[in-house]
Amino acid sequence: MQAPTPPPPALEAPSPDRSAGTGGTLRVAAALTNARVQVDSSFRGASIVLYGAVFNPTDAPADVVVVVRGPDGPVRLVRKTRQAGVWLNSRPVLFEGAPGFYMTASTRPLGEIANFGELRRLGVGVDHLRIAAPEEARTVTRYGVRDVVVSRLGEDYLDWRRAVIRLREAAALYNSDPAGVRFVDRGLFRAEVELPAVAPTGRYDAQVWLFQNGAPVSVSHLTLTVEKVGIERDIYAFAHERPWSYGLLCVLLAAFTGWAASRVFRRS
Amino acid sequence: MDIYLPIAEVSVNWPVLVLLGAVVGFVSGLFGIGGGFLMAPILVFLGIPPTVAVASQASHVVASSTSGVISYSSQGAVDYRMGGIMALGGALGAIGGVEVFRWLRLLGQADLTVAVSYLVFLGAIGSLMLHESLTQIVRQARGIAAPRKERRRPMWLYGLPLKVRFPKSGLYISAIPPLALGAIAGVLSAIMGVGGGFILVPAMLYVLRMKAGVVVGTSLFQIIITTAITTVLQAGRNQTVDIVLSSLLLFGGVVGAQYGARLSGRFRAEVLRALLAGIVLLVGVYMGLELFVRPSDLFAIAPGIAD
Repeated sequence: MQAPTPPPPALEAPSPDRSAGTGGTLRVAAALTNARVQVDSSFRGASIVLYGAVFNPTDAPADVVVVVRGPDGPVRLVRKTRQAGVWLNSRPVLFEGAPGFYMTASTRPLGEIANFGELRRLGVGVDHLRIAAPEEARTVTRYGVRDVVVSRLGEDYLDWRRAVIRLREAAALYNSDPAGVRFVDRGLFRAEVELPAVAPTGRYDAQVWLFQNGAPVSVSHLTLTVEKVGIERDIYAFAHERPWSYGLLCVLLAAFTGWAASRVFRRS
Repeated sequence: MDIYLPIAEVSVNWPVLVLLGAVVGFVSGLFGIGGGFLMAPILVFLGIPPTVAVASQASHVVASSTSGVISYSSQGAVDYRMGGIMALGGALGAIGGVEVFRWLRLLGQADLTVAVSYLVFLGAIGSLMLHESLTQIVRQARGIAAPRKERRRPMWLYGLPLKVRFPKSGLYISAIPPLALGAIAGVLSAIMGVGGGFILVPAMLYVLRMKAGVVVGTSLFQIIITTAITTVLQAGRNQTVDIVLSSLLLFGGVVGAQYGARLSGRFRAEVLRALLAGIVLLVGVYMGLELFVRPSDLFAIAPGIAD
């Protein structure tokens, strides 16, 4: 779908100041049913409802676009190449920061709501989402392994970028739903945020944009926290803070289970 | 019935994991192997990240091998001196192997190395075992006596220094070959998540020519130590051991291993070997296919520096 396009802008788009208006102006307000998602042992992903209201004094139609962006993190990719009949991995290519989760939901397909330049400027839509990449390709060496940092100006940048999006979409981490925002009553809308079980933990930012005549007129910012709780958090913290004791515990547990089983079975 | 694994960070159906542990444990008890080579590919197939699968199942191997060794030990079928020397080699191999695996992971070549290792080692061992055991089965069916085997060990076993007496194995050889064998098993344990029994058992039988009765118990003993060290190292260096995953696997595993060990006495040794060879070969080819089949997506996510 994406034609060869210029790279996305690196600057954060400013929120339109028209949203600061009072009373009679067009604006949007929104909230989440659950702003803290707790990852415990029964976690199988979560579905959070985002609901909101559009204050529209005129009869001109307005569109709502919900963008939820998860914590950024580096992404390393390899490309498989066929050499002498065998599929081998290329050297890893590194994107310095891509959102761990990204979804858009809107009242209509994004292309009908605003033009390409506007969406690109705001970073709204999977095709326009900002993935941090420097202007020049360079090589970083960590622990003796050389990675190529992908460049925004490199000729195969778009292939790599599309691959990040495709792989994340396959894991349900990136998603766009052109009919995800539904008006339940006049001015009252809802959208669902579907977090898969593999969604990263951390702080998520949700933006609710209101568009009219192809231009953003109002935006509302929300935050969502995904965190491990209870035993899941304790185990994770133990494994990362005291990894050696944790490993020892795993082995002792295994050896004890093996010993206990042989005792139980000998008696019976 | 789903449970979220804190380190693997995926949600899985836990009864499936317990059942998987039981089946692999049964196979491991039946054939006297750790069963790791079977477990890792299935876990990856179930959606567990390969690095977590390899590291976590090592503790399952510890558990099923422990209960195996206890039952072999009560029959006096463990040569602790031989096993100890091999375990020393295994420890050195594991330390090197974990570092190599870490480096390969950063290089983005870990999955490739795992595929090649499975194809080469399982393919070779499986073919050899299958050939050997089938020949024997056919001979016995036709009533032909097996040709007198040369019981001579390779001469170089005697030429090396550091000779040690192994009364239980009926050997008086240098400590270097068992040490080297253990080291190979240690490297494989870190890279493939296996105990290395599928390599140790044939090597102990056909190269060292140990007494057949103590081979399995001794290899299990060395596997416990090697995989225990591997587990600690993987947890300490890579933080890839999921205690919830390994607990689920080992609960099923220890029970399965007991039933497997009981049943193994009812089969003829060569039939068991032929069966095991078939499984080994199948897994090796399945894992190796990845190298030759065009991937559905040419791009793949490589594990990061942080995770």
